[in-house]
Amino acid sequence: MLSTRLYEDFPTLKLKINGKRLVYLDSAASSLKPKRVVEKLKDFYYTSYSNVHRAVHTLASQATVELEESREKFANFLGVSPEEIVFTSGTTMSINLVVVSLLRSGFLKEDDLVLVSLLEHHANFVPWLRLSKFHGYKVDYIKPSGRFGTLELDDLLKFRKARPKVVAITGLSNVTGQRLPVEELRNVFPDSIIVLDGAQLVPHERVKPEEIGVDFLVFSLHKMLGPTGVGVLYGRREFLEQMEPFLYGGEMIDRVTLENVTFNELPYKFEAGTPNIAGIVASKEALIYLEEMGFEEIRRRTRKLTELAVDGLKQIDGVEIYGPLDERQQGIVSFNVKGIHPHDVAHILDQEFGVAVRSGHHCAQPLIELLKKQSTLVEFPNSTCRASFYIYNTEDDVETFVEGVKKIKEWFTR
Amino acid sequence: MMYSEAILDYANSKRFRGRLEDATAVEEGKNISCGDEIILYLKVEDGVVKDTRFEGIGCVISQASASLMIERIIGEKLKNVISIIEEAEKMAKGGSFDEKKLGNITIMSDVKNYPARVKCFLLSWRTLDQVIRKLSQS
Ligand SMILES: Cc1ncc(COP(=O)(O)O)c(C=O)c1O
Repeated sequence: MLSTRLYEDFPTLKLKINGKRLVYLDSAASSLKPKRVVEKLKDFYYTSYSNVHRAVHTLASQATVELEESREKFANFLGVSPEEIVFTSGTTMSINLVVVSLLRSGFLKEDDLVLVSLLEHHANFVPWLRLSKFHGYKVDYIKPSGRFGTLELDDLLKFRKARPKVVAITGLSNVTGQRLPVEELRNVFPDSIIVLDGAQLVPHERVKPEEIGVDFLVFSLHKMLGPTGVGVLYGRREFLEQMEPFLYGGEMIDRVTLENVTFNELPYKFEAGTPNIAGIVASKEALIYLEEMGFEEIRRRTRKLTELAVDGLKQIDGVEIYGPLDERQQGIVSFNVKGIHPHDVAHILDQEFGVAVRSGHHCAQPLIELLKKQSTLVEFPNSTCRASFYIYNTEDDVETFVEGVKKIKEWFTR
Repeated sequence: MMYSEAILDYANSKRFRGRLEDATAVEEGKNISCGDEIILYLKVEDGVVKDTRFEGIGCVISQASASLMIERIIGEKLKNVISIIEEAEKMAKGGSFDEKKLGNITIMSDVKNYPARVKCFLLSWRTLDQVIRKLSQS
């Protein structure tokens, strides 16, 4: 059962959707927000808000202190130093920053190889692919050989000798929910620049980039109880120091003359313009909330719900579930019901059962193409239904959801 | 209700499905966000839609919409088709529209209450609009 504390902390859970209790199973797209975060936003705007870093007045100092506290909090969380934490607007912005800056500073050159997995969200796919057209580096794809889009260690090992300059890979698939063997990346690619997309992984797990040896780790706060418009980019100091900025403008500058500019110190060199100050400040509260619950507990909880959902869906004839269906699956279950389009499943789940799930291609068309090839459905709809779980979900939620799918199936196949 | 018996019947109907071998115009349409695709075959002679078929897979809303659309436009003059498309768009977006022009299509007027589904409804209409534009240019 959902503890009363969680119920109190997430007012959204009290909503009725078409007269039914809201069952929110779309956290992989964006999570609900606890009071603690929303109130911090409000309080900050009313009592401490001003622009940061530039002015000497009291409010500016308070805002700056709060923003830097947030940075320190995230640095501690990842076990890195605050200079290595760059605040961006989100994962998409972070990845674009990394690609462009690596190119501008010569870390990535014509004829180099970039390896990307077929599991990637478009945010970790399109920037690498598009910029290769202008800069002449090559892109190759790690293809998952396991069950319905499951990436196996062997799929990585195949590229051992390819010596890629960059490996860009997700930590947890936003479609299949597979948690990837990120600990193996450094062993397999000892000399590569490793960029880990943590958008789905970090909300479920405390990731230590230095321990696993990745050079860049990116994630978005809105998927882990925080506000929208805040992203964290961890970059290893050696890279950040030598990298050319992505955006030029205010705050990232040291000295500007008519002939030249020099840049501010880390991490400000990568934070041009006025950031989402209140968002960054309130993000700290999101992290505190998660840490109080404990990432071990979060993992255990969402894993349990994932397992229940998979078990429940397996009982329904004609349901095809994607991904590994074992302990590697974390927080996300993607599926199709034979003969029923995912939009219809999602629409009726909402209208009749109050259950919010996502349907579509989840910004991962290459993976959807692969699922289509392996699907046993006569007509694969080019999309899937996705239920995703987070800390505020319960076994009741899963039951309502599975029951809903079962009824929809019966209703359509009468 | 978007899933009434009538709408389900139209969605499942095979009447207007398949290729049209003697089509004079063919157009592909896509809904980028869900991956739905439709191929629309039109046989137009002397400015009149003689026959139409569609292929593709999609949700109930998109399939019912395509069937209703085809049922309505077969036998119509192109210039009437253009105004039917306009009325269907207005209906889907919650504007006021001419019920007489749409006929049976009004059984889907509820779609206006589901903004995320409007594009499902409009897939076949947008595709039809493309064909008609091309035809009127040539
Ligand atoms: C794995 C993955 N990468 C990147 C993103 C993009 O994140 P954002 O939209 O916050 O930039 C997402 C969000 O859906 C994701 O799931």
